Amino acid sequence: MSMHFIKAGLQTSLQDLGRPGLMHLGISKSGAMDSNAMKSANWLVDKPLDSAVIEVALIGPKIRFEQPMSIAVSGASFELYLNGYLVFNDETIQVKMDDILEFDRLQQGVRAYIAFSGELQSKPILGSYSTHLTAKFGSFNNRQFNDNDHLKISSTPPSPHKKMLAKNDVIYSGKYLLRCTRSVESDQFSQEQTEQFYAQRFQVTPECNRMGIKLSGKSLEFEKTLEMTSCGLTQGSIQVPPNGQPIISSVDGQTIGGYPRIANIISADLPLLGQLKAGDQLNFTLVTQSNAEKMLAEVEVFRKSLTS
Amino acid sequence: MKITDNHRLSYSVVDNGDTALTIIFDEPCSEALTRKIVTVQQLIKNSIGSNCFDIIPAYQSITLIFDLLKTSKNEFKDELLKILEQPIEPSSYLSKLIEIPVCYDSEYALDLAELANYCNISEQQVITAHTSKIYLVHMLGFLPGFLYLGGLSSQLYCPRKNTPATRIPAGSVAIGGDQTGIYPVESPGGWHIIGRTPLPMFDSTKNNPAIASPLDEIKFIAIGQSEFLELQKQYKEANR
Repeated sequence: MSMHFIKAGLQTSLQDLGRPGLMHLGISKSGAMDSNAMKSANWLVDKPLDSAVIEVALIGPKIRFEQPMSIAVSGASFELYLNGYLVFNDETIQVKMDDILEFDRLQQGVRAYIAFSGELQSKPILGSYSTHLTAKFGSFNNRQFNDNDHLKISSTPPSPHKKMLAKNDVIYSGKYLLRCTRSVESDQFSQEQTEQFYAQRFQVTPECNRMGIKLSGKSLEFEKTLEMTSCGLTQGSIQVPPNGQPIISSVDGQTIGGYPRIANIISADLPLLGQLKAGDQLNFTLVTQSNAEKMLAEVEVFRKSLTS
Repeated sequence: MKITDNHRLSYSVVDNGDTALTIIFDEPCSEALTRKIVTVQQLIKNSIGSNCFDIIPAYQSITLIFDLLKTSKNEFKDELLKILEQPIEPSSYLSKLIEIPVCYDSEYALDLAELANYCNISEQQVITAHTSKIYLVHMLGFLPGFLYLGGLSSQLYCPRKNTPATRIPAGSVAIGGDQTGIYPVESPGGWHIIGRTPLPMFDSTKNNPAIASPLDEIKFIAIGQSEFLELQKQYKEANR
């Protein structure tokens, strides 16, 4: 029994929370870029929040279900059709055998997550089902989904109908303020560079993927080459290469850094990176460590309030 | 006051975003420092490892990504500083010597001629210089299973390409700046390709997916194309 990807979409892949703990082997974490949306989708089908889901990006798939199951879609909003009838994000959808779910026009955001009742019939690799798109490995055939792929899932009784609270209607406006704290090389940037970085609005370029997100704006020009100690590169690090155009590192990126980092995006804001696309506009603001910690705790409290 | 002798560490601990700290060691990259780093990495793992997602060693640093929902940065940093105050015994890890067969034939060595030209030596001299050294693995990183090697002959130093190649085949052996390395998976890259190994450098199906650990040693062995193809076949079959 399985899900049949009649059309796979642009970059549809199997993801869970990834594989932390392997960066010392050069293996970045992978996993759902918008982990909040992934957790919501899993909650809606009554599964552990870290269960594997299908990550959809920009152009969604067309899927035929070869068995009845409960599914849910969270994250980016697409025009979503089940057998030609509109269905919606953030509530449980019961599908019957041979039903067809189709992702049509993208309305907001970039990445949506499809959670499903039933268990995957594939095995985790290095502790996770996630697909590492740059290193080309993962539980599903070591790659993203292609047209006509089948994802095998055990059959289970349908899960009860659930709906997220209305206040979860996240709006992906395309204009975001991302909060940051200091990074390893922050002190080495000139005052002018730092001021320019926090004062200006950057645009997301088309080079925006699971490895990294390149930005463009007024160049943060270097007067001198900064001293770099190569060291661990975390998700959300904002590196500034010699051309002065920042790059945000992401889940499938490299594990050790090449360019000086002006700041790192706080943990609470990382899931939003999964919803960035070319043309989106970003501002950055510096917050204190204790605020960053409070914001992460608040995100967790908020997320739990939606799913209880 | 900073104290540097064999058993004391001279370091600073710097912020790396809200959920990571980086220990930067105040001494040049060397085997001795890597041995200390391996010890510190183990000490951290054994003491505060349960609060860490990742412990990432590099030439002169260790980065710790910790679980911000379990500990605040201040608490975590205090614990870390306590560990770093202890005298450190450099790791006595017995290095394994790992031989890596490399075919330097032009088919695989896309940039060998260019590099030889830049270094002002013959292609054969490049191969001899590259295969005559034993390289120390300082750390893994960048790509899955990528080894950061120390010990490249200064004869072979060559700046990275201005425009990186978009697709470098897995197994490509390359030189960039004062470093040599092997691309474990297909990737873009700016280093000069001087050969290719048939040995898989990364295997996600294995418990330990990389072929070497920090402090292991690498020696490149030149092989011909027929041997390359034969080995490639053997490794493929072994992996079935």
